[in-house]
Amino acid sequence: MTRENFQKLSAALLLIVSFGLPLVLRSPTYLHILILLYLYAYLTTSWNLVGGFAGVLPLGHAAFFGIGAYTSTVLFLQYGISPWIGMVLGGIMASIVGVIIGLPTFKMRGAYFALATIAFGEGMRVMVENIDYLGPFNLNGPRGLQIPPLNVGLANLMFVNKEPYYYIILIMLIAVLMLTYTISCSKLGYYLNAGGEEPEAAKALGVNVARCKLIAMAMSSFLTALAGVFYAQLTLFIHPKSVISLDLSFEIAFIALIGGRGSIAGPVLGALLLRPVSDFSRIYFGHILPGLHLIIFGTVLILVMIFQPRGLQEPLTKAYHRLLDRLTEKPTEKE
Amino acid sequence: MWFIAEDLINGILMGAIYGLTALGLTVIFGVLKVINFAHGSLLMVGMFVAYWAVTLSGLHPYLALILVIPIMFFFGYYLQDIVIKPIFKAEKDVREPITVIIVTTGLWYILDNLTLLIFGPQYRNIQDNPLRGKMLEIGGMFISVPKLWGFSAAILTALAIYWFLQRTRMGRAIRATSLDRDAASLMGIKQYKVYNIAFGIGTAAAGIAGVTLVPFYNVFPSVGVLFDIKGFIIVVLGGLGSISGAILGGMIIGVIESVGPQFMTATWTEGIVYALFLLVLFVKPSGLFGVRYDW
Repeated sequence: MTRENFQKLSAALLLIVSFGLPLVLRSPTYLHILILLYLYAYLTTSWNLVGGFAGVLPLGHAAFFGIGAYTSTVLFLQYGISPWIGMVLGGIMASIVGVIIGLPTFKMRGAYFALATIAFGEGMRVMVENIDYLGPFNLNGPRGLQIPPLNVGLANLMFVNKEPYYYIILIMLIAVLMLTYTISCSKLGYYLNAGGEEPEAAKALGVNVARCKLIAMAMSSFLTALAGVFYAQLTLFIHPKSVISLDLSFEIAFIALIGGRGSIAGPVLGALLLRPVSDFSRIYFGHILPGLHLIIFGTVLILVMIFQPRGLQEPLTKAYHRLLDRLTEKPTEKE
Repeated sequence: MWFIAEDLINGILMGAIYGLTALGLTVIFGVLKVINFAHGSLLMVGMFVAYWAVTLSGLHPYLALILVIPIMFFFGYYLQDIVIKPIFKAEKDVREPITVIIVTTGLWYILDNLTLLIFGPQYRNIQDNPLRGKMLEIGGMFISVPKLWGFSAAILTALAIYWFLQRTRMGRAIRATSLDRDAASLMGIKQYKVYNIAFGIGTAAAGIAGVTLVPFYNVFPSVGVLFDIKGFIIVVLGGLGSISGAILGGMIIGVIESVGPQFMTATWTEGIVYALFLLVLFVKPSGLFGVRYDW
């Protein structure tokens, strides 16, 4: 078996397993855990477009998540507009806000950018918490919005069982991974990388670094807003502290950083490794050892930053390639 | 107009305490050029140390300083020595290493949740506290006594740090390192030791802030988060690395928070603070008072 065939085979196997999983795994709890895992993998991959490729540290992505969730929910509750259309509108809203906030902030240096995005995210939460009516739109302030589960079905992105949610977020995740891959191979990807590593040199070579970062920001905020809509439809209840929280912004960024920013597999690997840790330690130790998952999280974060600053994807891809060598060597010798 | 004057004074007093909580942040940034995201957690640790010192000994809350200052100094000293130094060594030529931000956030998670694990989530406050709820009446205005104490502690701490940096040999070494760490190393200054000491001073300042807060504030594991973001805002308003800027920036926030509710819903003041912060970041990132470093 050649190397390419082996890789194709393992990718196909991975797809079959992930699509077939709900047929075997009937427990809604575990499905919910998997849905959240994919949701986080999706969010970190979207974050990676700015935080990884553009080389800055945005810590306010929950704001875009919240814009998506609130736009679709308000439109659905007040005007009966399907959340699918809400996704598009919420995404557009988020990318407009993303560009507006990106224009001044991308000029800032490392730490200032991180602080500005934190203030932006927190400011957004304070605003939503204090506004009951934004013009004709009812945001309901700190009490949040509840979606009554009446017209269940694909048209309203609302289901009784967990399986449809599972497939939707899985497809969203695959799509965003393909998009990231396309971008990383495109001119924009190279420009972003160059601008992130050596902005002065990239500018000297004629790369419009600021414009590339803005495009990345617009895409990243658009994609994050879609996840917000999905989350609103999954939980059917949103409030400012749940969808625009600082914790969410930090978790997205740190899962991506532990996995490895700037790579395609990194953020997904980070979610794959860390989400189960946090879910299971919360389920089994939550009542006796509160906050255990965050201690693990923090420790892993520090260790990774000290010993593997490029994230866990680096040693893992190396190990994978070694495995690939061992598995594919012998058959080729026989041929 | 009397009630506005009363709010103004209480705002300035509380603001100076906010400034004190941010003082360590600005010292650490001035020398290490990193924003310590774990600063709120260090403040929380300081509050816990102060709480236990006062509760177990039954002394006046401010006498806890004798214990809190050395404990927090060495805590910060070794925290920097063990956890943060390896990253500086790995990223020698980066002036403003972003990795350190991430590591300090990891520290924040660990410290907050370890405290939660050990002491539980309940709110604590000092029993039989001589300062709690005391008010001073001046011409119809009521001024909180523990905040007056906190205000004096803030001014004294700022002056003491300023004096230390200006007048002592170690202070001069710290200032030299903050200006140019490579040149300072060439002059025979041990760069990492200076970092350790600066981090220790910053942590001790957080400990002092903890002592001033304990008499009128609840102690609980996530209390640091309330002051963390506020601290970032204060130091940017006042100019990162500036000591007087931190106290003045704190006073601005304190006044907005206490006078603001006369004109709007109290929760909106937080929004005003964030808006002001973003405005300063966009327009004048070196801070409102235009000082780059005042040491």
